Amino acid sequence: MKNETKIKAAFIAAVGSDHFHENPDKLSGYAHGGAFVAGQTPLCVVEPGNSDQVAEVVRAAVETGANLIPCSSGPPKSQRACSVPAEIPSVVVDLGKMDRITRINRRNKVAIIEPGVCFGALQAESKKLGMKALLPLLPRASKSVVASYLEREPITIPKFHWDMTDPMLCVETVFGTGDTFRTGGAAGPGSLEEQWKSGASQKNPMGPAQTDLVRVIQGAQGTMGIVTWSSVKLEVLPRIRKGYFITSTQIWPLIDLAYAMTQLRLGDELFLLNAQALAGIVEKDTAKIEGLAENLAPWILFYCVAGYEVLPELRVRQQEQDIAALANNLGLKAVRNLDGADGDDIARLIDLPCQEPHWKDRLKGAHAEIFFLTTMDCVSVFLEAMGELADAHGYPAKELGVYVQPVQQGRNCHLEFVLPFDPEDADEVGRAEDLFEKAGKIMLEKGAFFSRPYGPWAEQAYALCPDTVAAIKTVKDILDPHNVFNQGRLCL
Amino acid sequence: MTKPISSKNLPDEAVSRFKEALGAGNFSTDPVFCDSYAMQPFHKTDPGCWIPRPMAVALPGSTEDVQAVVKICIQYGLRYKAHSTGWGAHGGPGYDNVVQIDLRRMNNIVEWDEKNRYVVVEPYVNCAELQAEAMKRGYNIHIHGAGSVCSPLANATSHCGMGWTGISTSTSSRNILGVEWVLPSGEVLKLGTCGSSGRWFSADGPGPGLRGIMRGWAGADGGLGVFTKMSMKLFHWAGPKETRVGGRLLDLEVEKPDNFRIAVCAFPEAKAYADALLKIGEAEIGFLQCKNPVSLLFSGGMPRLLRKIHAMPNTKKLLDAFRYQFQFMIAATSELDYQYQNQCLNKIVDDHGGILLDTPAALNSITYWSFVRVSVPPVIFRMGGNFFSAFGGDEALDNCMEQARIGEEIKRQFIARNACFDDLADGAWSLIYENGLFGHNEELYAFDHRDPEMGRQLDDFAKACTQATVEHNLGGGGFAFFKGGEVHDLLGPSMSNYHIWQRRIKKALDPDDLSDSKYYISSD
Amino acid sequence: MALEEYRRDMEGCSRCSSCKWVPVSQIKSHRFSQACPSISRYNFHGFAGSGKLMLGLSLLDKRIEMNDSVADLVYKCTLCGACDANCKVYRDDIDIVEVIEEIRAACVENGQFFAEHQMMIDDLKRENNVFGERKEARGDWARGLGLKDANSQKVEVLFHAGCRFSYDEDLLDVIRGAATLILDAGVELGIAGKAESCCGGRAFGMGFRGQAKNFAEDMAGRVKSSGAQVLLTPCADCYGAFQYAYQRMGVDLGVRVMHISEFLGGLAAEGRLLFKNRVDRKITYHDPCHLGRRSEPYSGPWKGNKLLRHSSCKRDGRKGVYDAPREILRSIPGIQLVEMERIREWSWCCGAGGGVWEADEELSEFSARERIEEALASGADALATSCPWCERNLRDAAESMGARMEIFDVTELVTRSVEGE
Repeated sequence: MKNETKIKAAFIAAVGSDHFHENPDKLSGYAHGGAFVAGQTPLCVVEPGNSDQVAEVVRAAVETGANLIPCSSGPPKSQRACSVPAEIPSVVVDLGKMDRITRINRRNKVAIIEPGVCFGALQAESKKLGMKALLPLLPRASKSVVASYLEREPITIPKFHWDMTDPMLCVETVFGTGDTFRTGGAAGPGSLEEQWKSGASQKNPMGPAQTDLVRVIQGAQGTMGIVTWSSVKLEVLPRIRKGYFITSTQIWPLIDLAYAMTQLRLGDELFLLNAQALAGIVEKDTAKIEGLAENLAPWILFYCVAGYEVLPELRVRQQEQDIAALANNLGLKAVRNLDGADGDDIARLIDLPCQEPHWKDRLKGAHAEIFFLTTMDCVSVFLEAMGELADAHGYPAKELGVYVQPVQQGRNCHLEFVLPFDPEDADEVGRAEDLFEKAGKIMLEKGAFFSRPYGPWAEQAYALCPDTVAAIKTVKDILDPHNVFNQGRLCL
Repeated sequence: MTKPISSKNLPDEAVSRFKEALGAGNFSTDPVFCDSYAMQPFHKTDPGCWIPRPMAVALPGSTEDVQAVVKICIQYGLRYKAHSTGWGAHGGPGYDNVVQIDLRRMNNIVEWDEKNRYVVVEPYVNCAELQAEAMKRGYNIHIHGAGSVCSPLANATSHCGMGWTGISTSTSSRNILGVEWVLPSGEVLKLGTCGSSGRWFSADGPGPGLRGIMRGWAGADGGLGVFTKMSMKLFHWAGPKETRVGGRLLDLEVEKPDNFRIAVCAFPEAKAYADALLKIGEAEIGFLQCKNPVSLLFSGGMPRLLRKIHAMPNTKKLLDAFRYQFQFMIAATSELDYQYQNQCLNKIVDDHGGILLDTPAALNSITYWSFVRVSVPPVIFRMGGNFFSAFGGDEALDNCMEQARIGEEIKRQFIARNACFDDLADGAWSLIYENGLFGHNEELYAFDHRDPEMGRQLDDFAKACTQATVEHNLGGGGFAFFKGGEVHDLLGPSMSNYHIWQRRIKKALDPDDLSDSKYYISSD
Repeated sequence: MALEEYRRDMEGCSRCSSCKWVPVSQIKSHRFSQACPSISRYNFHGFAGSGKLMLGLSLLDKRIEMNDSVADLVYKCTLCGACDANCKVYRDDIDIVEVIEEIRAACVENGQFFAEHQMMIDDLKRENNVFGERKEARGDWARGLGLKDANSQKVEVLFHAGCRFSYDEDLLDVIRGAATLILDAGVELGIAGKAESCCGGRAFGMGFRGQAKNFAEDMAGRVKSSGAQVLLTPCADCYGAFQYAYQRMGVDLGVRVMHISEFLGGLAAEGRLLFKNRVDRKITYHDPCHLGRRSEPYSGPWKGNKLLRHSSCKRDGRKGVYDAPREILRSIPGIQLVEMERIREWSWCCGAGGGVWEADEELSEFSARERIEEALASGADALATSCPWCERNLRDAAESMGARMEIFDVTELVTRSVEGE
């Protein structure tokens, strides 16, 4: 108790009492995430307003031995919920108040944003300057851009996903020593303002020097440092943009087409959904979702073609024709509309965060999700396994949502299964939970790569790579020698 | 006359263990053999051509061999330094009494995954070999600026990898999809999927991306263990699977495919050049974009004429008018794609007051294939016998333009004092990556290290450029890092104190500082 | 020129490793991209062209002493010149082969060479040929052909068979067939017979400058006394010596030197040689180093800064004899000529040169086997060459490998076409 008092005092000193919270109602919001995620109630929540205060917060943790839980924009809502405390005494560092777009620059297509900036705000500001932000598929409205990119959530435009760090460029981070560090071009020489004056725009994601610590911060689930701002890539807002569907009863022709398109960097947004997932995106009402899913072909490839500022019409025509030729070779045909879904509507929809309820929750009110990296040619192996598992668990396979997002320009993909369930129905909850737990193991056995190992996946994924575990621990000792960040996550 | 280096004698027991591990024919302590690893005049800023002679040379043939070598080195407290194709002082020992690990026996192409567009290679496969094999499969690779005689693995894991086709193929370090790494402890760390499932398609995770400690903008240049396998990206190749090639470089006879266009885009001033290039990036056109300075083009074909041009003021002015030019290659994948790329290029160049000069048919052979194969780079040695690159810190294009401007100012001073060859001061080699995400600029500096005065002044040039980097905020340290040692103490404080963190990484992974850190950072 | 004269060449090496591969523009596969047998077999950098530049500089700088290891590095090299030709794609100011030759000369001066080389020199001294065969038997190969005796008569064309053709019984039909072709075309051909001696090229390559010069001067005297306008040889080794080594030694033969492939090509062009019969073979052609890149004439040492040396004065390998043998093969009905990946000035060496055949059987065989592998990969069922040393070494390799690959001299194929198989 005495210790808790000491901790609270230290954090009040760090951020001021106005940014310090210990109201039980507020604290309880941070004690759990989405499906099956429950953790510890934090001791308190602090809301620093700037980088200096974040550094003070870290120093306070070092001094008091508190476990810091970085959280970008309010209480966690997703099943990933790495910002739900696993250990106590924990102090949540909610960065939601740090929501400034420090700079947005058309010439270099870049923005500098704080962790509290959500996709809606960034998109709106980008649009004013003729640009667009790069979004994952329909994030929650409260989803922090920085958090999303730190988690390596896949963006929907594979051609812009050159490397796993994209679209994140440089970051400022506070390490567990309380030191502030900038990565990539932002590291210096010079302050940001001085760099801008010399034409720099924090666009080089590599470095500084012979380190690339942004990569270590990414995917670390808040265990290595707290990011206080990041420069992120923006792209040109298309002058013309059209959404297209290609449907198939089998997934493999669409996979083949996705390979061909990504190889040639054709199309902008490009992903595959099953009927259930598309229906969930298009409709909000359960009955309508079910109806649309019934009507749709089992598999849908959605893509956009876009023309930018130079010769947009010609660009669009070229993309349309070249994609049509590839599709034709596979016996496929692109259409602008499906019965119940309009391509341009989808294109507009995915430019913004998801309206509530979140599309994954619309069918049953809640969902679990299983996602990992694989290659597109292996997707069918996982589909088959998931189908068998669902059957074995009495889970209606037709309710499973499937989302395949090519990443790294199509060299591999994010494969996601969405398991909707009724949170009020204990049987359904139990069934979904069983399936969720079992599926993680089975997918891993079949070669799934849990590059973002949340919750129970961490133990399973790290069991396969003890050398990686040792290396991560070594890095942790360097960046967070006092072990103040998010204890109990990953393999730490 | 250089005096013989006194070499610490290896314990007989260690020699026996090395020979036992590698085979007697793959290990030598013979000074005659070792001295051929002691000359590296390229990218060496102090005068002369000799670097420290290794006390032994080891030729491992496998990852297990490399592990064995590293572990023996640990046991006997021996420094070691690995290189692949080994071009440049940073590939050789930084100190006396180092065991040089020459990876040339590890030259296998381990695996092709054509569907998922990656290839797994060992250290000694060079870019030209790999590109030739990739093209047979309809793919191309990113070839870094040093050219295709070099190892893509060494470049991507351990050095810096800007290349002529960066506009469409990024840069080496961002093209890594997996790495097998013999750590300074002698244990193997496999990054990403290859460490978990044995497949080589993604390099980051589970969790943090450990590529972040493996390298940064620059690699550790042998200062952090040994890399034994790497998965790298393949890119679409719009040309033929086999190309009939006659000749070797300036006598090349190759048919340029009809879906390719090669042109020089020249602009009246720097702003127009940069504006146009950014638009080109946004339009997503181009297979290759690279500003090879006029001097470099001359040094390849007519190095003697270049020297005479200095006495021809009008010709010099004419060439100077082409200072803001770059070479551009379109490789279209369809007829309409060709139309789109061509028309975009025409329009953008026109909109920015530039001129577009298509390569004359007579030069198509040379430009097409030497650009695609990146066979040109060593011609720069024709000018002075050696060269050096300064700056190189990647950033937004405008910052790169500033690097070029200041670099030229600095170089003019050295030209005036005959410290380097007069390349019209237009020494900026530059390009954009990833459709303009960021840019790269190097200030090329041609000199002859055999001329003692030139050799002595090189370090002054390098220091002046490093100083300017700090004073003018010119995009990170760039090639200054390859000086190693004290440069970190100069740059670190102005760059987020990176040196402190880098040193901690070194100390954690290699506490005894056995992986030669001359071109990386020492552990204390 | 002494080694010291090449200091700038040696110091100039940038260590780019272009000497190890065929020119990168010409690399067609991972399998057949290597250029240098020596580094390919022994791996240490010292075995590469670049490494030998460093070796020379190291000796000059007295960083190392002349010893067995120096000899090991410099003699386990076929002196094929691939490193030199590949380096010169980029460099005007480095002559690797000349540096290697100077190191070898220095080795000989210091008594550092292989015992097998001494044996060969002893054989040369004793019998005027590299095999130690009886000098009296040298002209026996021509018995009954009706060739003129150049020792006693003036001849239009002096035919120099070379040591290998003179004594290798397996190749007897080849040399006799070649001479017959020329005679039948109406050319007045003479030989020196038992007075013919080694050209001295091998001795030069091994660094035995004195012996080499003796043989060269002897040769020059014999040519002069024969009154020949043309010195014709079927041996690439000898051809390379006449074209290059003699000029390095300052010996002027005073006549036009021709390789038999050039000569036969001329006869065919004049209609004096008719390829009447089909020779149905899929053939690949192996460029002998000494007919190709190493046969380029030497125009004397460059005075001054080699960076300013004009390209025409640079021996970059392009001026060797590459087209004449190919033209002949293309002219023979039934022959389908398929090329290997490494050809012309970036050709892979057969492994018989530079004293390696005499002293390093392992490297010699390694190199030859590699070439047979490449020939097999080309899809050819036969390999033609224009050098008896290459033919011998490649035949032996093919046999030991059990490879289905016939080895021919180009003249054999001409004989078959002219006379019928």
